[in-house]
Amino acid sequence: MDPILELRGVTKHYPGFALRDVSFSLPRGYVCGLIGPNGAGKTTIVKMILGLVRPEGGEVRVCGDDPVYAERAVKDRIGFVHEVPAYYGHLRMGSIASIVRPFYRRWDQPLFEALVREFEIPTNTWFGSLSRGTRTKAALALALAHHADLLVLDEPTAGLDPVFRRSLLERLSAYVEDGHASVLFSTHLTSDLERMADYITFIRDGRVMFSSTREQVFDRWFIVKGDPRLLDDSIRQALAGVDVGPHAFTGLTSDPAAIRRRLAGRDAVVEAATLDDIMYYVGRSC
Amino acid sequence: MLRNALRKDLLLNARHLWGIVPWFLWVAYAMTEPDAGRITAVGAAFIGSLMATTIGAREDKLRTTATLASLPVSRGTLVEARYLVAYIVGAATYLIVVVMAAGLPWSVQRAAELCELKTLLLTLTLASAAIAVLMPVVIRFGLLGVLVFLGVFQLLGVGLMVAFEFFGSRSSVGVFSAIERGIAALHAGLEQPVVILETLAIVGLAIWLSFRLSVFLAKRRDL
Repeated sequence: MDPILELRGVTKHYPGFALRDVSFSLPRGYVCGLIGPNGAGKTTIVKMILGLVRPEGGEVRVCGDDPVYAERAVKDRIGFVHEVPAYYGHLRMGSIASIVRPFYRRWDQPLFEALVREFEIPTNTWFGSLSRGTRTKAALALALAHHADLLVLDEPTAGLDPVFRRSLLERLSAYVEDGHASVLFSTHLTSDLERMADYITFIRDGRVMFSSTREQVFDRWFIVKGDPRLLDDSIRQALAGVDVGPHAFTGLTSDPAAIRRRLAGRDAVVEAATLDDIMYYVGRSC
Repeated sequence: MLRNALRKDLLLNARHLWGIVPWFLWVAYAMTEPDAGRITAVGAAFIGSLMATTIGAREDKLRTTATLASLPVSRGTLVEARYLVAYIVGAATYLIVVVMAAGLPWSVQRAAELCELKTLLLTLTLASAAIAVLMPVVIRFGLLGVLVFLGVFQLLGVGLMVAFEFFGSRSSVGVFSAIERGIAALHAGLEQPVVILETLAIVGLAIWLSFRLSVFLAKRRDL
């Protein structure tokens, strides 16, 4: 099946920062988590997908179209939430929706009204007076109300309470269930993705460190903990990043079988890694 | 889609356009002054167009530029709407002055005088000049662009005044008088068909070039 989103060899240079050869794709019907530390390039990638930033090299394709040259067609298929949802502060939710609505061919007003009720967004309050979390909810309601093929969400859970965060994640999982739509979810809160992402793309310093399915990520990376005296050169070489404390070392490995063989019967454990662990140690190893 | 973009700009900025109300208080007073009708009407349209041109600067200030550019509309259409809004607001302010001239009980102006072709064309020329020069700057640089642009003009004006006062053979008052005489001469000349056609051609070309430049800049701008 053709991917709904594809980036091939994308480059972009800014003073002090560059995206280099960024490539990954997202098939229809899946959720992709775009993870990385602050300043890694996640927001720049999101903006490229929306055609807000032009790549200097490489290609971005949404449903086969280039967002820069087929801007209207591409953006009609995308529901977006920016990192800082910004609408005119002096307008109320209804007025904002009345401005946004005519642009979308598939706007579903009853769905939008249901989302506003469900998300408990005040309709008589100026947008500028809403809390950060409520602004994000408002942006989510607008993004979900036009049956987008691709949801592009930049840090959508920042500022949300845990209850709403969890229900949002369930909603997003349900959104892709029919196999037609996909979600690109940029975040540095990796616990959100461990629950729902099918694909994980890890960006650091403008480079893709890895991009694969969640299962492949968790099958590949493991945490090793043990007595620091066990940490010889051969063990160090098998670790992608290691922290050594006075009583224990912790490291990440992509070769758990070799580590288990070498440390068999000794004071060490090999256990499943979290995305936080992977981000931390893979990032440190570069 | 242009209609939606136009509606978007008018709805989003209706509140800010109330800022022109103080100007109308001056207009209401000016209606008592003989011979003030034309300059008041032309000035109103000029200021209305300028205010509408700075919409982009407000979008930058409120950080809504990226949000609005994420909607399914081309940047070219967004720019087109900006030009149309500037002309619509300019025309509306002019119309309000005409209505005030005709309707205010203390008005000594003749509304028909404000509807003469040469006055309308002069207004179009001056408003178009402002829009053509300022719009690409706003589109490319947003709020910062407007501030720098106005600051540079202010400094240029002060610099010219100082230069003329100290080093010129005539005073800066003479320069401003010359500009005033030039506008008056254009106004008088706009009764002749050749001048009308030339003016329309120059205004059309300037706006077309400005629009093409604005679209080019808008498309190249990273948000």
